Amino acid sequence: MAQAEVEAVRVRPSLREGSKRGRRASGIARQRARAGIVLTAPAFVVVVLLLIIPIGEAVYYSMTNWDGITAQWVGPRTYLNLFETPTFWRVLENNGLLLLALPIAVFIPLVIAGMLHEHVWGWKVFRSLIFLPTAVSWVVIGIVAMQVFAANGTVNSLLGALGLKSLEINFLGFEYSALAAVAVTFIWSMVGTNTIVFLTGMSTIDPAIYEAARLDGAGRLMVFRHITLPLLKRYFQFGFVITTISAFTGLFSLIFIMTEGGPGYGTTTLEFFVYQQAFAIGAFGTGATVGIVLLVIIFGVNLLQMRILRGET
Amino acid sequence: MTLQGESAATRPGIELGGRAGARRRGGPTLGRRLRRDPGAVIMFLVLVVVCIVMLYPFAFMIINSLRTETQYLNGSGFSTSSWSGLFSALPVGSELLNSTLICAGSIAIILIGSSAAGFAFAKLHYRRQNVVFLGIIGSMMIPVQSIIIPEYVNLSNVGLVNNYLAPILVYSALGMPFATFLMTVFFRGLPDELIEAALCDGFGYVGVFWRIAVRMAAPALATVTVLQFIQIWDDLLVALLLLQEPANRTITVGLGVLSSGRAVSIPALMAGSLISALPAIIVYLIFQRYLISGLTMGVSR
Repeated sequence: MAQAEVEAVRVRPSLREGSKRGRRASGIARQRARAGIVLTAPAFVVVVLLLIIPIGEAVYYSMTNWDGITAQWVGPRTYLNLFETPTFWRVLENNGLLLLALPIAVFIPLVIAGMLHEHVWGWKVFRSLIFLPTAVSWVVIGIVAMQVFAANGTVNSLLGALGLKSLEINFLGFEYSALAAVAVTFIWSMVGTNTIVFLTGMSTIDPAIYEAARLDGAGRLMVFRHITLPLLKRYFQFGFVITTISAFTGLFSLIFIMTEGGPGYGTTTLEFFVYQQAFAIGAFGTGATVGIVLLVIIFGVNLLQMRILRGET
Repeated sequence: MTLQGESAATRPGIELGGRAGARRRGGPTLGRRLRRDPGAVIMFLVLVVVCIVMLYPFAFMIINSLRTETQYLNGSGFSTSSWSGLFSALPVGSELLNSTLICAGSIAIILIGSSAAGFAFAKLHYRRQNVVFLGIIGSMMIPVQSIIIPEYVNLSNVGLVNNYLAPILVYSALGMPFATFLMTVFFRGLPDELIEAALCDGFGYVGVFWRIAVRMAAPALATVTVLQFIQIWDDLLVALLLLQEPANRTITVGLGVLSSGRAVSIPALMAGSLISALPAIIVYLIFQRYLISGLTMGVSR
């Protein structure tokens, strides 16, 4: 035991600094480096073979006119060709319109988290129930949403019951109403995740701050607006980023089930366009091009977030 | 006043006994709170409405799975025929098995790869380590849609399409970056002294990882498992493209394909949806604490 402690003291400096001091220390550093490489190897191989190389291939394919059988090199012009296609802009418009749902998909959970944080009677049960849909697949959500928005579905019966029969339509039958139905379903399924993110953020706030505010006579809304919200900034941004990324890359199953991208291109987003081009039409080249555009957008969102975070600290 | 009451309980983990706990703490009853604090009552009622909206799809599935097609259209009456006919509409048994095998395979690879790499990034130093770290963690940003075409082509070139290995490999790769990030954060929290002491007891670095570190990482491994299970179980795109024979389908794909055939019976579809959602819901109910800690881990980025 005493022996071990002495050894530990001798080993420690080299472990921390990894510098070469003496033969013994560098021997340990080398041993450590070797172990590090061995332990990193499995994850590294999986990521390189199945993520990084495919990205390289996707960039290459994106500049060909590959139809699944023959591929000819076209070059960066494929991107210009894509940007000249009206369909591409129609699809991008859908992504843009879905982004309009973003503030709602963040605001509603913020309010719910604010109420849960007040620890009203039964709040733990509410928390569990509100988070429950997070476990359910977009496929199942889509299957139910399709019935809810159908011509004889729940939304239309509600409208009828409210005496708004004139507003009853087959939501999934028209381009913009179908997109709205997808957006509402999207907002609904972000509620659980975002609520938990905000609630976790709120629980990191020191209760003493609240008590001080209460003693100063601040009301609930004042406290929420002037204490909770500013202290929640980091979590707020995180919620915004995951919601944005979900809007761009998480809706494939939902669209596949609810509308199959239709009617027309009414609900085709970039991610669904990739699938449609490559696997429905067989235009692998175009599909890859759209996939890279999507990748660039996601990188942009992440960079923006990192810049904002760095700007703060 | 509600604020002070339970500040001690303010932590991210969700306790399963939430309902019982609240009762045991013996706060004022709802009626008494109503008179003393109308704001809290309004919030309570709003939360009830929110819960109804969030749970509506589950009620919808349960009620309509208990109807025949005509009863569904009429909106009244009950029958168990869709449940008894479920197995002919959807090969539930084999699809559940397929889903389970694919989840298990992918999660095993992710757990091994991410815990080893996470330990190496946190505790072992080698040249260019930062580059490798950034490469793996940065891959988190890659959307599956951007790589699915080359992925499909590569796997079909090596003859793996329609083999369980294809989705297992792709899911492993997609899950690896975030899992590695999570494990790195976890292992950074382990004291260096612990590892040094173990080294002095004669373990090599790999031995320290395997015999000591992994054993202490149970909570982080559980978080990775739960997050990945729900993600893989619920995925459609990858399994849809890489397993094209009906016999290979996962439950989520089976359901997706079934629902896109327009002639399907809605009650049967609802029963199938419930079956497919059940495992993920059970995992959620048991392990929600880990799921939440994994979800919010990203904030510390």
